Formats: sequence, structure tokens, C-alpha cells
Amino acid sequence: MKSMTFKRFVAASLAGISLIASASVFSAVAVIVHPNNANTLSESDITRIFLGKKKSFPDGADAIPVDQKEGSAARSAFVGTVLKKNDQQIKAYWAQLLFTGKGTPPKEVGAGADVKKLVSENPALIGYIDAAEADGSVKVVHQF
Amino acid sequence: MKTKLLTPCLLAASIMAATGTQAADIRFNGFASVVGGMTTSEGVDNLAGGGPSVFTADAPTQARYDDDLSFKPDTNFGLQVSANLGDGLSVTGQFTGAGGEDFDATVSWAYISYDLNDSWTLLAGRQRMPFFFYSDFLDVGYAYHWIRPPVETNVSVDSLDGAQLRYQGSMGSWDTRVQIYGGTSDATTTLSGVSVDLGLEDAVGAVFYMNNDWLQLRATHMVADFFLEAPGSNQTDSDPVGVDFSGIAAHGTFGDGFVVAEYVSYTFDDPVYAAAWDKYEGAYISAGYRFGDVTPHITYSTADQSLIGFAGSIDGDEGSEAITVGARWDFHPQAAFKVEYTTRSDESDAAVKAIKGEPREVDVVTFGFDVLF
Repeated sequence: MKSMTFKRFVAASLAGISLIASASVFSAVAVIVHPNNANTLSESDITRIFLGKKKSFPDGADAIPVDQKEGSAARSAFVGTVLKKNDQQIKAYWAQLLFTGKGTPPKEVGAGADVKKLVSENPALIGYIDAAEADGSVKVVHQF
Repeated sequence: MKTKLLTPCLLAASIMAATGTQAADIRFNGFASVVGGMTTSEGVDNLAGGGPSVFTADAPTQARYDDDLSFKPDTNFGLQVSANLGDGLSVTGQFTGAGGEDFDATVSWAYISYDLNDSWTLLAGRQRMPFFFYSDFLDVGYAYHWIRPPVETNVSVDSLDGAQLRYQGSMGSWDTRVQIYGGTSDATTTLSGVSVDLGLEDAVGAVFYMNNDWLQLRATHMVADFFLEAPGSNQTDSDPVGVDFSGIAAHGTFGDGFVVAEYVSYTFDDPVYAAAWDKYEGAYISAGYRFGDVTPHITYSTADQSLIGFAGSIDGDEGSEAITVGARWDFHPQAAFKVEYTTRSDESDAAVKAIKGEPREVDVVTFGFDVLF
């Protein structure tokens, strides 16, 4: 009985450590736009654009959000930290809008590199990448 | 009836075909629920004519559970195709099949949507009648915690053929949405074993919805002319009866917990023919808590229908109270498993029970899967 409890304790600790380790691999999420995009975006602007509640930047130009592939670390971090939902909640949220004509989820465009390339080529796009991936081809408007 | 349903669908399809060559952005999405269940009323005589009560799970199809295991009443699927034509114009068709109708495909949504500007959108065509908090996405089981929202807030009339003007905006930390709609609705259903056509004409309504990061509030009001025609009965040429519908709802999220409550009522200008319906009230309150992938929940729901001149002379109420306990398990990113138990009591007046028995007195257990694809 005692060894059973001990084993469980070890298993739980290992699970905890591996969670912390996998989280630490991922540093921070950078929200990026085209370098010529002069808008200042608040956290709530970003949330609204990514939840389909706002279709333009503060200056009135079209804003089109792009998502990373499902399962990417940056996407989970962005959805959890910025949109404040878990993966199931964001799915249910979009199901409610998608099947009732109230909105469509952002297009999935691939990994961080794909998002960065598309955003660097199109001033209407807004995306997010691992902060470590950011460079001069895009402009970081927020870091979480 | 069926050809009438097909018209908006063909319209949508032809528009899509016409623009298909211009590489319109076309999106396919779908959902499905596979649910089994049965009542535990075997051997209980609740009905006036003898026999056990049944549980009507789906008002539009009148699909019901009895004391034999059935996979039909809550099982459904839907496939949506949407074409974004650019410049704020899109065309959407949603085809659904319900077990209660042997999975005959029907067109639940078929509309053209046009963004007039950043805030206003016009939708024309077939849509869901937005009576209840869950009406719009009632078919999409994945989007809520139950197997089905409480049946006390569900009616047979579920589609709207007409137009809707939608506003979306924000005020401080609140997002707001206003829907103003008008149109008609018709449905065929079974009441007391008789097939009837019923629906709404000249329906005009509005929905006000606002939410912040933890609270959602909704209020709605609609007026229309209600008709009910039972072929072969003396009700065939009855005049429509005015109906006035109101509803309020609130949903709060508290960390991993949530509470949702709704109250609706509708009143007819005159009692509806032989059914003798006057004022209806339905309400529920439900709470749940998410422990990782598992969300247990509990719901109290109640309904009260007043009758005037029922069976010639009875003025009284028929109603029910129910408790539902259940759990949702998100075992897969695209799918959930659910199990639910509802125990319901018949709270009708004695005079009504003397004629109808206790048809609402029933317990039902259901379980199943909801999938998004």
C-alpha cells in the first residue's frame, strides 16, 4: 500500500516536471503584423479580431487573423493566454458561430514560419508566432 | 413541402456553381450526434388510456424515447457548405438529418449574407428561428454540455424563411449583438397521434445579446400569427391566432464552473382551438464544473401551460418539473461523450390529469457522442 502511494507520488511528480519542462521550451507568444501596419493594438483589439468580433484595425483597414496549425505550442499558448479559453472551449465557441452564420474561424496556415511569411507579405493579416521566431520581416505589436 | 424546402438549397447551389470557377473560398464543415436512450417507465401506467409515459426529446420531429432502447430521437448530423465570394458576400447551406425523421436530409439554413459595413450584416433566406438561447445551434451537440438543452425551452417551430439584419458592436468591455428579423415558418408535426401543419406568419422579432469575458446576457421578443391545421379535422379552416413570445437568458463562467438560466413565455390572443393553449412558461437553471476533461452538471427545469376551455369546460394548468444530472467527457479534441439522466414529474392540475393522465411523469436515461468535423 505504502509503495503504491510512493509510486503514485513519483509518477505525479514526473508528470508535473515534464509539464513544466514542456512549457518552458515555449518562451512567449508574439502577435505580429506587416511592418507597414502603423496601428497600435490593445490586448482587447487582438482578442476581438481573433474571436471574429472585429473585422478591421483601429485605422479602419481590413484585419484578417490567421491561425497556426492545431496542436502547435504557439496556438495553445495564444488561445490560453490571450483568448483565455481552453482548446475545447474555443472549438465550442467557433462551432456556435460557424453553424449559425455568425462567423468563421481564422484560416489555419501552418507553422510559425508560414504565419511569419504570409504576414510579411500582406498588410491585412495578423498572426502570432513564438517570440524567438520574430525578425525584421514582421512587426511585433504585442508580446504575451 | 419537400420541394419547398429544396428551393433555397438549389438557389444556394446554383450561386455556388456559378461562382465556383472564380475559385471562391469554399468551406465544408459538419457535426454529428449519435445518442441512445430509453425511459425507465416499463410497467408504469401513467396515461389516461393506460400505458407508460414517453419522453419527447426533439420537439420539431416529436421524436420520443419509450421503454425500448432507441438511437433515433437525439441522433442527428449536419453538413455545411459555405462560399465566401469576397467583399462581404457569402452563401451558406446547411443540410441536417434527424433520427426522428429517418435522417431525411432537410435544409436547416440556406442564406445569402452580405456585410453592409463593419457592424451591419444582412442575411436573407432560411435560418433558425432564434427563440431560445440555444436555438441557433440546437443541432450542434458539441457546442453545449447537455445531450439536449431542456425540452421545456424548445418548440416545434424551428425555421425562419425571411430576412435578418444583424448588428455587431462593442461598448467598453462588452460586445453587443442585435438581430432584427421577419418572415414565416412552417412545420409538420404530430400532436396526440395526428399529423398537423403548424407555423407562424408575419413573424417579426428581435434579439439583444451582450457578453463580456465571463457573462452573457440575452433578451428576445417576437410577435406573429400562429396557425395549426389538422387535415381531416374541423380545425382546417381556423383563422391564425396572434402569439407574443418573450425570453431572457444569462450565462456566467466562473473559472472552471458555469451557470446558465433561461425563462421564456408566450401567450396566444385566444386559446388555440381544441388544444386550448393559452399562456406557456418554461424555465431552467443549470450549473456545471469542469474537472479537466470531465464536466459533471445538474439542471432544474420546469414548464407550465395554461389551458382555457379544455375538453369543453376545463380551465387549468398542465406542467412539469424535472431534474437532470449528467456528465460530458471531452475524450478527443473533436468529440465528446455524454451521459444524462432526467427524472420528471407531472405537475398538472387534477382536472387535467383526470382526462390526460400523467403523460409528463417519466424518467429517461441517454448517452452518446457529439462530433465536429
